Amino acid sequence: MTNRSVLGNSVPRPDALDKVTGGKQFPVNVVLPGMLHAKLLRSPYPHARIVSIDAGAAEKLPGVKAVLLPQDVPQRKYCPVYFVPTLAPSMVQDMLIMSDTVRYAGQPVAAVAATSAGIAEQALELIEVEYEELPAVFDPDAAMADGAPVIHAGTEKNVAVNPVISFGDVEAAFEKAEHIFEGTYQTQRVHTCYMEPRVCVVDSDVAGNLTVHSSMQHLFGLREKLAFALDMPEGKVKVIKPAYIGGGFGGKLDIGYIEPVAALLSLKTGRPVRIEQTRYEDFISTTRNPIKVYLKTGISKEGRFVARYAESTLDCGAHATHGAEVINVHGMFGILLTYPCPDQHWEGKTVYTNNIIGGGYRGYGSPQGAFAVESQIDEICEELGFDPVEFRLNNSYQQGDPHPFNPAAKLDSYRFQDCLQQAAERIDWSSRKPAGSDQGVRKRGIGLGCQPLWVSGCVGFPDIYEHSGAIVKLNRDGTADLSTATVDLGSGQITTLCMIAAEELGLAADQVRMTYADTDTVPFDAPSHASRVTYSAGNAVKAAAGEAKQRLLEVAGGLLEAGPDDLEVRAGMVCVKGSPDVKIRVADVVERAEAPFVVMTEEGPQPTNLAEKGTIIGLSSMAPPANPSPATVEFVEVEVDTETGQVDVLRVVFAHDLGKLIHPAGAEGQVEGGFQQGMGYALMENLVFDADSGACLSSDFLDYKMPTAVEMPVKIESIFIESDEPTGPFGAKSLSEPCVTVPAPAIANAIYNATGVRVRELPITPEKILTGLGRL
Amino acid sequence: MSLATFENYFLPGNGREVVALLQEYGERALILAGGSFVHGLAARDLLSGVDVFIDIQKLGLANIVTDPDGLQVGAMTRFTDFEKVPEIQNDPGWGAVKDALSYPPAQIMNAATVGGSIAAVCPYFDLPTALLAVGGKVKVESNTGSREINLKDFSTSLFESSLGVDEFVTGLVLPQPVSGSVSAFIKLATNANDLAIVNVAVQINLDRSGVCRSASVALGGGVNEITLRSAAAEKLLEGQKLTDELMKAAGTAVQVDISPMADHRASAEYRSAMASVLTERALQRAIARLTRSS
Repeated sequence: MTNRSVLGNSVPRPDALDKVTGGKQFPVNVVLPGMLHAKLLRSPYPHARIVSIDAGAAEKLPGVKAVLLPQDVPQRKYCPVYFVPTLAPSMVQDMLIMSDTVRYAGQPVAAVAATSAGIAEQALELIEVEYEELPAVFDPDAAMADGAPVIHAGTEKNVAVNPVISFGDVEAAFEKAEHIFEGTYQTQRVHTCYMEPRVCVVDSDVAGNLTVHSSMQHLFGLREKLAFALDMPEGKVKVIKPAYIGGGFGGKLDIGYIEPVAALLSLKTGRPVRIEQTRYEDFISTTRNPIKVYLKTGISKEGRFVARYAESTLDCGAHATHGAEVINVHGMFGILLTYPCPDQHWEGKTVYTNNIIGGGYRGYGSPQGAFAVESQIDEICEELGFDPVEFRLNNSYQQGDPHPFNPAAKLDSYRFQDCLQQAAERIDWSSRKPAGSDQGVRKRGIGLGCQPLWVSGCVGFPDIYEHSGAIVKLNRDGTADLSTATVDLGSGQITTLCMIAAEELGLAADQVRMTYADTDTVPFDAPSHASRVTYSAGNAVKAAAGEAKQRLLEVAGGLLEAGPDDLEVRAGMVCVKGSPDVKIRVADVVERAEAPFVVMTEEGPQPTNLAEKGTIIGLSSMAPPANPSPATVEFVEVEVDTETGQVDVLRVVFAHDLGKLIHPAGAEGQVEGGFQQGMGYALMENLVFDADSGACLSSDFLDYKMPTAVEMPVKIESIFIESDEPTGPFGAKSLSEPCVTVPAPAIANAIYNATGVRVRELPITPEKILTGLGRL
Repeated sequence: MSLATFENYFLPGNGREVVALLQEYGERALILAGGSFVHGLAARDLLSGVDVFIDIQKLGLANIVTDPDGLQVGAMTRFTDFEKVPEIQNDPGWGAVKDALSYPPAQIMNAATVGGSIAAVCPYFDLPTALLAVGGKVKVESNTGSREINLKDFSTSLFESSLGVDEFVTGLVLPQPVSGSVSAFIKLATNANDLAIVNVAVQINLDRSGVCRSASVALGGGVNEITLRSAAAEKLLEGQKLTDELMKAAGTAVQVDISPMADHRASAEYRSAMASVLTERALQRAIARLTRSS
């Protein structure tokens, strides 16, 4: 039994003080001597062929050091996604660093490196590009129609991937169903809105080796994709781990244009080259793919799911990128595996258009699915008179069931029913009124949304990397250094991993320090994504700390004249189990291990033992044992102004079975930050584009609206239901992404409860509500 | 366009230098006051013809003078200082101004200036709508001296004013409200740092019997290319007792005077409907002040 002295305490985050005093370790602050600044020239056309480019005048501008054009760039097609092997068969290799074909408005066609960003920008205006415009298509249904413009040669009807998954006999099941419901649910294109822009500094040496600083979520993915796109060996690329980045949320899970362009400009000039995107450039870089879901559900007389049919059309924009994988996660965790249903059929289509590319965003296809599934459950319950909480309880997986995604495993720590019941009680669900029955101009309503089954990483996905590594080294002052390739996105990965190492080593949380790493010096790690760090990287850190601890006990055993198995570490002391007075400081053990052969003591010089010698260190590189699923439930109370259509979110109750709670304040922060993103998705966030040119119209936060502190509900209550996950580090599994997935359906259902208006298209704007009320 | 490519940035020490620069650069020049809207304009390609900044922060122009005729407010007065003026805080006749200054986030309150918000001639701003309702006048200066322009006559079209090419805004004059006046402002927006989708400010003056002696109803936020007064609503209110029905009718009456814009932030139909709802609500908010102050 472990003595948990560290876990469960909201210890101060080690990165907090640095961040609130300027955050000098953000990648955006990296400055190297002699550094050049580069800017990208972007196409104003959504679909065009470049006839010619004349950069002569730009090259002559004083301060300009290099110009990069499509003909200077390796024409090697790649998939930019970090977490899959470069040639993963599940993905589509359809991107070039620069191409003579433009497929969306804003695609880079040239770049300039100069002594200042201002000069680089001036130089862009001197580059003359002659385009031959091609017909463009922005709607995925139109893109699949006969005669639509072909965006990538060799694809049929512009469909990039077309997965189909079936269980049982869905047609027969629909025939037996007592009730059938159908609806189409549309989600919009949104951006993660990380605060630190995408930024990189790439340096090169005379041998052509690259050193890369970047604000991204995956060191090893960046190395692999950059080396591939540039057609150079991976060993020539070193990626430095940022101490932290200013947010990622899945939006920095793929190589951008900036890293390869900066690399090529650095190789050309021999100088470090920095590229920082503007907010506008970030908005057109990686976005959550819009998905249209047609959902048809068969229900038995008793209110059980008996048949489900769904078609999902994903608009991936100009390149497939994440869209080839998002569609699968959406189909599985957004629709098919949400609730048990014996007979199901789903077809997904990832469709090319001349819109901007998609990307990763927390939930990865699940938010688009949850909006459809959870909205439709509400519609079913309303029509058939079922209580939405009871209905879900009757249709859910049970603890101990075989895992529907990895059937070799069981849902050992699954507590969905407890989440539903405890959260329902907290929000006072039984007081819920019939839809639209509230009197007056301002109407209140309660709704819920669930993510019944989620992941703790990617075990079970055939093409996705899923292993982690760590190095734990003990210092002579009794502290430990932890080194991993896990990037802290702002959500507290450093804190969590240091706490896990400290717990294992018997040290205080602040005695473990997350230290430097780069791709040359630490084991491979999959990215910070897929709600995986606490579970997967946590297991690796625990293993490395365990190895270091074993060596610590061996050395201490020699000093205490006890076997390692008879020793334990508590509060920085190694002591004999059952005899706490027989002890030695961890610091003294480490010092002894690193001491010269003879040490001076009060009794004079004493020889030491050669077998003790060597830094006390532990190393791990391992895949996690499983992929345990947590469950998430969220209730929301809203107030709708029926004259203006505006929605206030008054209260949120969130429940989640995360295994063991490691850092309570950090976990609450996840819930609150996730709610902000989910609420923005539900009510206001939307990237809008000119219907003719495809140009992004919402280019900054004046036009791209997200909730500020003022719009956020005053009260967000988190209920963390602890359940011992047997394969997790100290019983932990995951939290993270479902926090973002559940708000939109919960808010949609609460708005329905308040007003009787069902909106099946996000965002639920005031205009849509007023239209539903017949007031517009 | 990046601001880094601006060729010329001037920091004149007095009004004569400002006027001389305006004469030299004309339409190429932009007066810089608080600077809170410059990035917004640049990001929307609305500064394409501008490559000269004239920063007027060295001119002073931040004084606030109170006298029996009203308030004289220097153009460079920051919102946060304007909000603190006791008369703005306490006189219900200036309630619309107080309300308008309650919306902006701290960054705007600390940077934006009274003169800048007027001179930008942006229909989506809040303060100009409130100032229009309370009868504000704009003080402007050129090499022929200074003059005052009624705010009602200041805006001519989207981002265009009646300023001469060598004139610039130096201050604001707010006439003392007649005793018994109340006013209020209300804004509809998506979040706390949004520009208005619609905003409405009203100022009304009632006699002892509760009959409306005068009314001004101002609307902004894209209900037209410029912030405007609704003569139809004002006419309906004047000489009448302000019942709930009449205030609702005034909301309906503004439709005569507005011609809402449609963009990706709101449809014309929504702006139109909200103009009526907000007018009624602004009147109710103003009336509530009357009840409190009497």
